[in-house]
Amino acid sequence: MELLRSLTLGQYVPRASPVHRLDPRTKILAATALMVVVFLVRDFRGLGVFAAFLAAAVALSQVPAGFVLRGLRPIWILLLLTLVLQIFFGASGGGTPLWRLGPFVATREGLVQGLFVTARLVLLVVCTSLLTFTTSPVELADGMERLLRPFRRVGVPAHELAMMMTIALRFIPTLVEETEKIMKAQMARGADLDTGGLLRRARALVPVLVPLFVSAFRRAEELAVAMEARGYRGGEGRTRMKQLRYRAQDLWAALAVAGISVLVLWPGRW
Amino acid sequence: MSDPVVVCEALTHVYLRGTPFESVALQGVDLVLRRGECVGIVGPTGSGKSTLVQHFNGLLRPTEGRVWVDGVELRAGRGILREVRRKVGLVFQYPEHQLFEATVFDDVAFGPRNLGLEPEEIQERVRESLQWVGLDPDRFGPRSPFSLSGGEMRRVAIAGVLAMRPQVLVLDEPTAGLDPEGRREILGRIRDLHQRMGLTVVLISHSMDEVARMCQRVVVLHQGRVFLDAPVREAFGQAERLRSIGLDVPHVTDVLLRLRAAGLPVRCDRITVQEACEEIVRVLQGGRKWSSSGV
Repeated sequence: MELLRSLTLGQYVPRASPVHRLDPRTKILAATALMVVVFLVRDFRGLGVFAAFLAAAVALSQVPAGFVLRGLRPIWILLLLTLVLQIFFGASGGGTPLWRLGPFVATREGLVQGLFVTARLVLLVVCTSLLTFTTSPVELADGMERLLRPFRRVGVPAHELAMMMTIALRFIPTLVEETEKIMKAQMARGADLDTGGLLRRARALVPVLVPLFVSAFRRAEELAVAMEARGYRGGEGRTRMKQLRYRAQDLWAALAVAGISVLVLWPGRW
Repeated sequence: MSDPVVVCEALTHVYLRGTPFESVALQGVDLVLRRGECVGIVGPTGSGKSTLVQHFNGLLRPTEGRVWVDGVELRAGRGILREVRRKVGLVFQYPEHQLFEATVFDDVAFGPRNLGLEPEEIQERVRESLQWVGLDPDRFGPRSPFSLSGGEMRRVAIAGVLAMRPQVLVLDEPTAGLDPEGRREILGRIRDLHQRMGLTVVLISHSMDEVARMCQRVVVLHQGRVFLDAPVREAFGQAERLRSIGLDVPHVTDVLLRLRAAGLPVRCDRITVQEACEEIVRVLQGGRKWSSSGV
């Protein structure tokens, strides 16, 4: 039960670090750029430099390193699988055999390739989680809205998307609480929610899901009325209390990201 | 005195222990509920009322301390919990939000079905429970619970708990959000269950009038501790103490207190309108003897 309560999505870690203070747009763009870079890197040296840069960014953000690494926990199976598959099949058409496992041959090239791909995935995840650790959901939505604004001409509903995202994030804890309450109410009536086979358990969820949906719709309706009562009518002509503004630090961050990209990708550098 | 049904000993509950969100909801609560009692639990918001009652049927486990229900200590073990949830029926706040079946009948039958009863037995219990809450099983049984009024939905939800045939019925603010008519109806039904069926009733409420009218004993929680545990009269006689933690006394008591402050020597431990009237009449008539002027 309490697990539900401790579930934190979005995982924002409030700190007063320089990374937190960056404009969300800068962070979104930087993270995107770095993700592209990490896919373009061709050698270990590049990855090494990239990793050093990320480590410095994490240190600067004051988010505990353990926290960042914990973000890898949900995907460790994926990482392991990638590594194993690459070791055996990474070097297509032969390579230096290392050892055999039945019909499968592990190759040196495969091992190298496997380590490379795994390291790339880890860096990718660290990069994105650094974004969510240092940017509150509201800032994130704000930033996205501003970045998508130019695409409104081609029919992208930037404001609506951002509003939906903000509302969804806002209601996650509420729904978790609601779920917990309904589960308890049904358990008080003898419902058995956590024993039996998969099918039994799935069926046992009906008494939880139906009331949950009913209440979600009720909440949605109430929220819509509350918003309309305060004159909400979409993004047109809407002003904000907190204006996003690029500052000097954003320029420095952008330069750093550009610099590291060049350093990592430049062929035949140093 | 009758035998105890629910006993809490040094009960402490801490939410999310070991995380930055840790909060102590209950601290060293000792409490004994006796069979056939009607006990009111009152306290400011966040005083631990809901947390406390969720220990009565094992929905929450004590962080420290122990809980017994009907002589059995609550501890891990499916058999015990199953048994305890049958004995102690818990009606949450806004219980109508838990309705989910297509018909009122099926919803009330959810509990008995979970107990694995025979269809005839289920049928009988559903009819009985609906009658207890004052809904005609033939008229309401086949209807969708979502087509009912708020008060009716709440009564269906309470019937759903009664169909488990509990010995102890715990209601967490059963009248919240109802109109006066619905409120009267629900309270009347609860009193019936208590007086005629001999059910032990625990009533969480923010309305001191309700507690005064319904209960014999009141437990006041404040910041996770038992602030006061006394018969209603005695408890509501301590207006100052109750007010010091943001609670109040029943309106009747309030009137008596004001009369007294205005110089009329009434006793203030009267909690029903009837009693208060008699007390005022008594004092006024008594007064006639020594003051010459009529009132």
